[in-house]
Amino acid sequence: MGTYPKEIQESIERVEATRPARMAMKPPRLTLQEQEALLKGFHPDYRPEGKRKLTVGASWGEPVPHELADLLEAYPLLDPREVDVSQPDHDVDVLVIGGGGAGTVAAIWAHQSGIPAARILIATKLRHGDSNSIMAQGGIQAADKANDSPAIHYLDVLGGGHFTNDPKLVRALVEDAPSVIRWHEDLGVMYDKEPDGTMITIHGGGTSRKRMHSAKDYTGLEIMRVLRDEARSRGIPVLEFSPAVELLTDGQGQVVGAVLWNLETSEYTVVRAKAVVLATGGWGRLHIQGFPTTNHYGATADGLVLAYRAGAKLRDLDAVQYHPTGAAYPEQLVGLLITEKVRGMDALPLNRLGEVFVHPLEPRDVESAAFIRECASPEKGGRGLGVTTPTGMVGVWLDTPMVDMIHGKGTFQRALSSIHRMYVRFDIDPTREPILVYPTLHYQNGGVVIDEHGWTGVPGLFAAGEVEGGVHGKNRLMGNSLLDYNVFGRRAGIAAAGHAKKATPGAPTLAHVGRYVEQLKSAGVPADRKAPLLLPEYRGERALSRMVDLL
Amino acid sequence: MNEVTVFIMGKGYHVPEGLTIMKAMEYAGYRLGRGCGCRGGYCGACATVYRLRGDYRLYADLACQTPVQDGMYIAQIPFTPAERPPYQLADLQPRGETLLSLFPELARCVACNTCTKACPQKLEVMDAVQAALRGDIPQVAELTFDCVSCGLCTMRCPAEISHHHVWQLARRLNGAYLTPRALHVQKRVQEVAAGVFKADLDALLSLGKDALVAAYKAREIES
Amino acid sequence: MKKLAYFPGCAMKDQARPDEAGTLHALAALGYEVAEIPRWNCCGTVHSLAKDDLMRHVGPVRNLIRVQGMGEKRVLTLCAMCYGTLKRSAQFVREEERLARINAFLDTEEDFRGGIEVVHLLTLLRDEVGYEKLASRVKRTLNGLKVATYYGCVLLRPREFAVDDPDRPEVMERVVEALGGAPVPFPERMECCGAYLTVGRSDIVTDRVGRILRSARGSGADLVVTTCPLCQFNLAERRPPVAPTLPVLYLGQVLGWAFGADEPANLFPLGGAR
Repeated sequence: MGTYPKEIQESIERVEATRPARMAMKPPRLTLQEQEALLKGFHPDYRPEGKRKLTVGASWGEPVPHELADLLEAYPLLDPREVDVSQPDHDVDVLVIGGGGAGTVAAIWAHQSGIPAARILIATKLRHGDSNSIMAQGGIQAADKANDSPAIHYLDVLGGGHFTNDPKLVRALVEDAPSVIRWHEDLGVMYDKEPDGTMITIHGGGTSRKRMHSAKDYTGLEIMRVLRDEARSRGIPVLEFSPAVELLTDGQGQVVGAVLWNLETSEYTVVRAKAVVLATGGWGRLHIQGFPTTNHYGATADGLVLAYRAGAKLRDLDAVQYHPTGAAYPEQLVGLLITEKVRGMDALPLNRLGEVFVHPLEPRDVESAAFIRECASPEKGGRGLGVTTPTGMVGVWLDTPMVDMIHGKGTFQRALSSIHRMYVRFDIDPTREPILVYPTLHYQNGGVVIDEHGWTGVPGLFAAGEVEGGVHGKNRLMGNSLLDYNVFGRRAGIAAAGHAKKATPGAPTLAHVGRYVEQLKSAGVPADRKAPLLLPEYRGERALSRMVDLL
Repeated sequence: MNEVTVFIMGKGYHVPEGLTIMKAMEYAGYRLGRGCGCRGGYCGACATVYRLRGDYRLYADLACQTPVQDGMYIAQIPFTPAERPPYQLADLQPRGETLLSLFPELARCVACNTCTKACPQKLEVMDAVQAALRGDIPQVAELTFDCVSCGLCTMRCPAEISHHHVWQLARRLNGAYLTPRALHVQKRVQEVAAGVFKADLDALLSLGKDALVAAYKAREIES
Repeated sequence: MKKLAYFPGCAMKDQARPDEAGTLHALAALGYEVAEIPRWNCCGTVHSLAKDDLMRHVGPVRNLIRVQGMGEKRVLTLCAMCYGTLKRSAQFVREEERLARINAFLDTEEDFRGGIEVVHLLTLLRDEVGYEKLASRVKRTLNGLKVATYYGCVLLRPREFAVDDPDRPEVMERVVEALGGAPVPFPERMECCGAYLTVGRSDIVTDRVGRILRSARGSGADLVVTTCPLCQFNLAERRPPVAPTLPVLYLGQVLGWAFGADEPANLFPLGGAR
């Protein structure tokens, strides 16, 4: 059966042996005190050596992971003296930076608010739709059932974020949620429904009501591709393979456009805009503290770098979301997301001995900390009960066969088809064998400070989606990221359109970059440190060591 | 570490066994821009075709999900030109002939099944073309739900169909018109607009942290 | 009940759904358990005239493989176009070399072994059911209604696959008689309706349909019947503005009605015949 090595097989036998007794049991949830103790002891965020305080910029003194600090405290890729920004190649009303979910929603709503399609531009680093949005599996929250309400949703979000969220943003999130779902229905998103149209909803980690709406386990893909198609129907122009490498500001400090860089021809392009929506997504590809990530190739925190140089404030970036269930075996899948929906459908996490050690649906940070404690060696205060793979990865079991045993044969393949497909490719049948998981870097909880209209406080600059912070505080719940980008993408798109209608932008310059460079110099930042990162470095060491630039 | 030899666009490289095609290309020194997206099998950016020595078949798969094999000849297909006719969903009827009138090339299908063989998601692509041909929109939507728009079927199709655009339209028609609306969602949208929850939220927003924590702890959890 | 593998074809599942419903009712009344073949694809519609065009036979042969997979020896079609296409491909692959090449191409399917018989509704009614049995099952007679029997072209051409004598066919007329109607074998009954030109050159189709309907009316008909959903569509939907207002029905629907099927889903203007 399967391709698990022999030493792991023995642990699977233990899992099978404890399964009958586990079928009907639900482990107790932790108290808030127990959660806190677990987080302090084992969550990577609580390791002080992982962070440092920023020494430049609007959020001076705030602690952030070293990997991000190295990008914020870094010199521009473009030398402002070598780029002529006075002659724009594109002149638009609204420039949207980022072609994932938030950017696409913002562009659609800017158009809906009266900005002609030709006066909008989406610029994106990879292809339109390449984003974390497209990878989301489990679902989207909205309090639209009779036993639920936006107020209950509000409490869940705040508790999940350990009461560190911006209450105004959370209110916007939960109040807009039902209308987002309705809008998606209008656009033709195929949500999972009962025959009469009632949404099939389940729990996510930290929810008190079953309000997770899904489209099989391709929820993110289904929503993103419908939004992209709608943007295409509206004729909104998109520049692909054109990441923004710097914002442009005028004499009054307003953001008035951006400099893009053609990833394929290495040309720069100047876009002048009356309003800019930053929708560049998150930071998973920084591999904070060496963790693998679920994120897409372009998730390199570029937007944080650009906005920070333009004077935007950042928040909650000391909190990193590790998704409890990243794949830990086989090697080819390490780090990839195993949706929380698997636990929502009653698969239990187990240690090497087949024992339950935590409730399956604690908030993500707590669940992750519990997995790390189970795997950590006793010398480090852990329990040493993880399963070690041939490549030295460690993980805990997720008892996936329980899904079909509880919900009926065929459920797993139907409701979790992407996960099923992913494992079957490697000869592991998750309906018969458990799978190995370990926390993986998943989400940027914090980000650029915004108000409830997506405004960053910097004139002309709006932000939506994973790049902004405050909505989730220091820990996001499952199903609130798809919701976040729809709610704040819409709000930012509408606000940007409103701003563009009355804005009087001055001549575009890179003056703010020059000022930032002065700060960097006085802070003694090493001169070879450059940002934004644009793409992570995965080339082989042998190839890199012999690489010379001759052409 | 065992090595295998792969031929990236015909040129041989030694790479460690067990890498995916994507990681093998990076190991060999390629910095991917095109041909790399989510790295998790969802976005369809890394469409790749390959042949194995001594095998006539032309295989098609996603570079991020496929381990290398010794003697593999690899070419990425990072972009698929495909025709998407202009349309507004609101102007369309959810009828069978809608698909055929916007994508008349569907009628050129000779049922060769090459599309199905090219699909990295193992979808029954030809069955979906046939369902589209006879106007069965829900069937098309169901069969193509897991499509990642990688374009491999489109590149292999002798009838020159732009599959993923047909699928996208069929799914939107199905979702918007052929599936009953969720009445509880409409009701809740109206309630929010009417301010039904305003007082509750105002009250929560005015609470101090201790009171909030107490309210959070006191939540009833739906079983 | 006698099991019968059934290939519906695209038209029967779209525009011509009511035709299928009526016919299936009639077949059940005649003692057939009709089993739709799984995962069928389009019959292949129009054949290439090139002798070496194997690709055009891939689709039809795949359907025949599905029939083989059901363990059946023959397959029923209700559509003249499907009949012609499947029959031709079944014939085409009788030559071993061609069969081997098609099987080699269809490497994801089991090999086709040949020997599947393709049956049209008309040949089934004539050769297996028989006109007498037909007459004996009638619950509602056509009561002398004048019915123009329209064959169109592909049921009778090419000659080797014709369902009847291609110059003097009579099978449809005999079926109409068995149901109590008065067949009207009008002059244009074997003319092509224009078929797939309906997509790109509907003007040509409209012209032909006008001539066919005038000819039928001129011969005194009250109703036109066809055994092809494409002909039925063209005759009903592609008429010129001044054409006779003759109703056009698929024969299977008339059959179903005569055997007591509920009021069919589409208009069924046989009021006078009750």
